[in-house]
Amino acid sequence: MSVFQLNVNGKVHSVDIDGNMPLLWAIRDVLGLKGTKFGCGVAQCGACTVHLDGVAARSCSVDVGVAQLSKITTIEGLSYDGSHPCQKAWVDLGVPQCGFCQPGQIMTASALLKANPHPTDDDIDHAMRGNICRCGTYPRIREAIHKAAGDRT
Amino acid sequence: MSTIFRVTRRKFLRDLGVGGGALVLGSYITPESLFGSSLKSKLSNIISTGFPLGAFVAIKPLSGDITIFTHRAEMGQGIRSSLAAVLADEMEADWSRVTLRQADADAVNFGVPYPFPIPGAPAVVKGEDAQFTDSSRSMAAYFVAMRLFGAGIRLVMMRAAALKWGVNVTELEGRDQQIWHKASGRSARYEHLLLEAAKVAKPDPTTDEIIAVLKTKDQWRYIGKKMPFVDAEDMVTGKLVYAADIERPGMLTAMVVRCPVANGALKSFDATAALAVPGVRFVEPVLPPNFLGNGTTGGVGNNFIPHAGVAVIAENTWAALQGRRKLKVEWDLGSLGAKNADYDSDAFRGELKANTAKSGKPVRWKGDVDFAAAAKVVDADYYVPHLAQTPMEPPVAVAVYENDKWEIWAPTQGPELAQHYVGLAMLEPDPIKWLVWQATELSELVRADEVKTQKAFNESMAALLKVDEKTLFQMRDDLKKRVRDKVRIHPTLLGGGFGRKSNPDYIMEAAFLARNHPGVPIRVQWTREDDIKFSFYNAVSGQSFKAGLGANGLPTSFLQRSAFTSFFATFFPPPEYVPEAVRDIYAKARDGFHNGGEYLYGSAIERAQGLEDMPYVIDNIRIENSPAPSHIRCGWMRSVANMYHAFGLCSFADEMAGAAGRDSKDYLLDLIGPGRLFKDADLKAEHVMTFDNNLFPVDRMTVPIGGKEREVLPGYPPDTRRLRSVIERVAKESGWDQKKGKLPKGRGLGIAAHRSFLSYVALVLDVSLNDRNELTINEAWAALDCGFVVNPDRVLAQMEGGINYGLSLAMLGEITVKNGGVVQNNFDDYPVLRIHQTPKKMSIYFEDPSPEVVRTYPGDGVPPTGVGEPPTAVVAPALANAIVAAGGPRIRSIPFNKFITIH
Repeated sequence: MSVFQLNVNGKVHSVDIDGNMPLLWAIRDVLGLKGTKFGCGVAQCGACTVHLDGVAARSCSVDVGVAQLSKITTIEGLSYDGSHPCQKAWVDLGVPQCGFCQPGQIMTASALLKANPHPTDDDIDHAMRGNICRCGTYPRIREAIHKAAGDRT
Repeated sequence: MSTIFRVTRRKFLRDLGVGGGALVLGSYITPESLFGSSLKSKLSNIISTGFPLGAFVAIKPLSGDITIFTHRAEMGQGIRSSLAAVLADEMEADWSRVTLRQADADAVNFGVPYPFPIPGAPAVVKGEDAQFTDSSRSMAAYFVAMRLFGAGIRLVMMRAAALKWGVNVTELEGRDQQIWHKASGRSARYEHLLLEAAKVAKPDPTTDEIIAVLKTKDQWRYIGKKMPFVDAEDMVTGKLVYAADIERPGMLTAMVVRCPVANGALKSFDATAALAVPGVRFVEPVLPPNFLGNGTTGGVGNNFIPHAGVAVIAENTWAALQGRRKLKVEWDLGSLGAKNADYDSDAFRGELKANTAKSGKPVRWKGDVDFAAAAKVVDADYYVPHLAQTPMEPPVAVAVYENDKWEIWAPTQGPELAQHYVGLAMLEPDPIKWLVWQATELSELVRADEVKTQKAFNESMAALLKVDEKTLFQMRDDLKKRVRDKVRIHPTLLGGGFGRKSNPDYIMEAAFLARNHPGVPIRVQWTREDDIKFSFYNAVSGQSFKAGLGANGLPTSFLQRSAFTSFFATFFPPPEYVPEAVRDIYAKARDGFHNGGEYLYGSAIERAQGLEDMPYVIDNIRIENSPAPSHIRCGWMRSVANMYHAFGLCSFADEMAGAAGRDSKDYLLDLIGPGRLFKDADLKAEHVMTFDNNLFPVDRMTVPIGGKEREVLPGYPPDTRRLRSVIERVAKESGWDQKKGKLPKGRGLGIAAHRSFLSYVALVLDVSLNDRNELTINEAWAALDCGFVVNPDRVLAQMEGGINYGLSLAMLGEITVKNGGVVQNNFDDYPVLRIHQTPKKMSIYFEDPSPEVVRTYPGDGVPPTGVGEPPTAVVAPALANAIVAAGGPRIRSIPFNKFITIH
């Protein structure tokens, strides 16, 4: 066990855990932030996506030792009231079905918009292909990203 | 004939958490109350008797806050919002005051029995457990129930105001959660009428009185329009609590190593290394030793019992995962497991092909199939492998055992089913009794016109336990009561279900482990690997088709054989798996339940999904079901048997069109002919085997509903006029005729149309195939006739998602088995559709039933039917046909990525 300083959503947490524990389990089991989901454990599905210094990362495959070097943002820290343009667009367009993958989708989408404020369909496909949605909400995810970018009404 | 009742018991209100003084309204709308008892026996082959009462609505005094208990599983279809909005609409509830609460597994208090004869559109859907959310039937079964219930509450409030003001109820109107008296200008809010509402004259409103106050279509606020979607905001902020997110004080997390082979047992395990992992607390078998006295484990024929496994129980998920990696286990495959350990899906494919090359069991025939005289003969074999559902949320369940009771939180499509089987596993140690209790449940569903069979069946079960028939059912009912008392299940919102979470094996694991640790909540968390390796898979299927085409290119003779590993083999053990004492009973139960037939063959449910209901008009038809043994657990997956039957049939139609040199769409319409409503007489003339399934009609009947004679159309017979309409619509919207012969080389349109879950879907896909055989899906157009569209936005969402689900399976889906164990592990070797693979553009059209069709149905419209599953089945054939049109190969097996490149 080792002590790590994790800066999550603007607050520094001191955690005493196994150094091999992936960030996902530190966030969920130790810090109790449950919005970040477990979907595959091998960086294939994107349900566990968080931001490390504003860049989308699969928390199931990031060691806490690496994560403590960055500012970590989870879905709970993206906005405190669901007011992020992605969250608003997601609700407006009725994107979610079961909803389970959507925090991860939104974390990837919000990182994309930060890097590329007006993405094309191809940009979106490229950035979002690491996030699986088994309900198949992809067409609405595309639309919602355009809407959050202000490129659709 | 009461339909609304009021609950005032204080303890009950406290348990509900709505506080004293609230008015709680339940519904007594049962088939009996609507049909009358004399017709019960006549109808019992299409409806089950159901449970005594229905959903609750609680209105809080003064605040006017309303709690609506939602009883159907929410897994992404939006049903809990939709049904609540239907109720609130008729009730005239102020939606801003409404909160939803997911009902516990509780058949007695929260189950809304169905079916309902539908005023205005009387038709009935076959009943099963009221909370069991499958077969795309929530709206089909409960639309009218929720309308009647809501309107009944509004009527109670009108009567309360009439009492308070001393006016006639006919002078009152319910609007905006208030009762209005136009003449005097008075109004009162529902929450200020609760005292009077609890007192209004008995009896409660009758069905007829409620029907009389139902809103007209133009008065609806939500129904058929934009409906609220209450969970969306919690979903996008990460606040929605799924089962894996539940925290309980002192909770431990379990990861299980399972026997890779069905019906295998635990031999030994070495926990030393696992226990040395920091945070690991216990290592123990999941199933008790000698479970059911004979060491029964999960697998073929053993229902929902989990696979044999050893659990590593730890302080957190990571520790449990680490411990599990260190665990050493040896399995005893025994006689049954050893047989399954030889299962190899590649070899099995050959077996299916051989079985469909020779005569099977005829399930529909007409005339004499003869290929000698045909101008041209077309034949083809089709294959669909096992497929896994892979919902985004892997199976998970939290259970705590305290004071000899279980409390469980789990995502489940079948809350009552989970409760029943968890209870049975915990409370019934006798293997023979276990099997008898299961059989008694099923015997109640034996066709009512076979009362003699049922009687003999019950007598033989009673004799087996050496009791009389009455005692037998009393013992069974006592057990059920104990189960309901001891097992409490709180269904959580599902992170996807797709049929996987109909099976409560993972919930049973949590219950078993919790019993070993009284007072300690245990969370059983499955990984993606667990989910892929231990699903209840969609059947593997082989089909053969042969058609003799006449001079005009249309078939004169048609032969279809289908072999598939029926899910009945999971729930009705093959004879050799069953103790001799109950073997005969099981054979009877299987055959009695949905005409299940005998082992190695499919059930009527599967045969009615694209096999016996083959929609083409052909003079000589022979359809056979060929044998297929089962060596792993099979269950349900979105679209079920339609997945393979529609792929074969709709692809073969295109093959015939090609052989005849005809346009695919025109040929398809000619195959269907002018369209017809299948009647009993047609089915008899064509020797269609299935008669008692909801997918086929029995004769239309007149029944007294609410004291009046009303015509009811039980079931929804296949109606090929509606199939024609969706084809014509999708052809028009996709510009099929205009594009004919004008598309560039390497680009093509494919079409497929299929009826399933009582709805009709036609799909056109526009694809490009480049010279490196790389596929792009340019555009998709789909037309849907699902009767009345209650929640247009969620129906669209289901269509979009269902098409993507079908694309995923068609292009990428394959589960293979070696040495009895599933080969695939995770999304890297069981790939699923990603955003860049979805069609660039997708358009969905609602095709309303034509006036001519509407006239065929009793009442004033075609009632709502399924939408979750119907879009999935048409995708594989539409894609296969489009690939041929684009100059690619004819693909006759799934997945397509073996033949073309999909990036």
